[in-house]
Amino acid sequence: MKPAQFEYFDPGTLDEALKLLRDHGDDAKVLAGGQSLVPLMNFRLARPKVIVDVNKIPGLDYVRDVDGMIHIGALTRQRTVETSSVIKGKCPLLTEATYWVGHLAIRTRGTVGGTIAHADPAAEYPCVLSALGGQVVVKGPAGERVLTADDFFVTFLTTALQPTEMVTEVRFPTVPPEAGWAFVEFSRRHGDFAIVGVAAMVQLDKQRKCTDARIALCGVGGTPFKARSAEAILKGTEVTDKVIQAAAEKVGGEVEPEGDLHGSAEYRKHLAKVLTGRTLRKALEKAGKVG
Amino acid sequence: MKLEGTYTFKAPQDVVYKLLLDPAALRACMPGCERMEETAPDVYEATMKVGVASVKGTFTGKVQLKDKRPPAAFTMAVEGSGTVGFMKGEGVVELVAQGGQTEVKWSGDAQVGGLIAGVGQRMIGGVSKMMIGQFFKMMEDQLGKGGAR
Repeated sequence: MKPAQFEYFDPGTLDEALKLLRDHGDDAKVLAGGQSLVPLMNFRLARPKVIVDVNKIPGLDYVRDVDGMIHIGALTRQRTVETSSVIKGKCPLLTEATYWVGHLAIRTRGTVGGTIAHADPAAEYPCVLSALGGQVVVKGPAGERVLTADDFFVTFLTTALQPTEMVTEVRFPTVPPEAGWAFVEFSRRHGDFAIVGVAAMVQLDKQRKCTDARIALCGVGGTPFKARSAEAILKGTEVTDKVIQAAAEKVGGEVEPEGDLHGSAEYRKHLAKVLTGRTLRKALEKAGKVG
Repeated sequence: MKLEGTYTFKAPQDVVYKLLLDPAALRACMPGCERMEETAPDVYEATMKVGVASVKGTFTGKVQLKDKRPPAAFTMAVEGSGTVGFMKGEGVVELVAQGGQTEVKWSGDAQVGGLIAGVGQRMIGGVSKMMIGQFFKMMEDQLGKGGAR
């Protein structure tokens, strides 16, 4: 299959790219790794008139550890995240989630900024960003904006990004070394879109009381679902099996997924409950064990 | 694909009924409505550009209003086709007076086929519901502007 006709630009600087977006507005689409956009264009579901290929722009490919946040340049490939020792050391939840992103070939080309800007409701990185409370840095004609995950993701494939703006950096908070974390996902075949996925991070004090809990799910709505009530159930308690069960039930009761060919709404609610429980148990096994 | 939901208007039942059948208000509030003309009594031809983000398709089709029971209910039959597929469906809209407010209950069955149904299957249900929600929200805003009064 071939895409509909489009005009192609490959600017060499960020300023040139932003100028192209300003000139073409809604008609233009940014091409990064192309792992979602190109199939959509080949199926002719997306017919952008102008493609702004940002792959030649230098300085957008980096992983930096800055004051408790891992700053990742938008053009950083998912495979770079997967193999980064900085990320494995400071935000291993992201390393684990990366394993679930498509297949190796897709991760080799797909970018961090691309998956965040595309905002697929089943995608792993938006889910982790929402769970940890990360930030998205965007640049446009009015300069730079830093948005929280909550403000950035609006609905299915829709973000707070304006047509004249571009994601330049994604910031994931680091996971404290004594915290436990896990990413669990279910799909029919590995590499398929998640039917439901769960990202969780749990911190315990010396008495094994929960001091912090972060949970988010993908595949259950238009945006990542931040499980705030379940987090509240865990915080301040000694996390027993009963508490985990209560938190999982809360998530299963609160999510409002839609059914499709891959699973009915009821099945997704059930999965949300079961997988939340599994993810929390897996995270708790790691909590308190430094390294 | 079954679709259903509710929306509560802060207005009396007869006002809401009139609003929901007002062509000018419909034209202003239907998501991506580019054209809508009454071709026969209660039959409208419309062109709509619908979708999310860069995934959009233009549909041209017919909307027919049936079984009108003012101010409590009506049925809406929709069929259309376009570049990315086709859709056909029928929905019942019921209006229930609740004090000064009106609860609008909508339910229907839609068949979506072609490319959009194959590739976009994962998101059609959620996106449709979202667009219907947006539609009612915009209709309520029309009330504030004095439409259909």
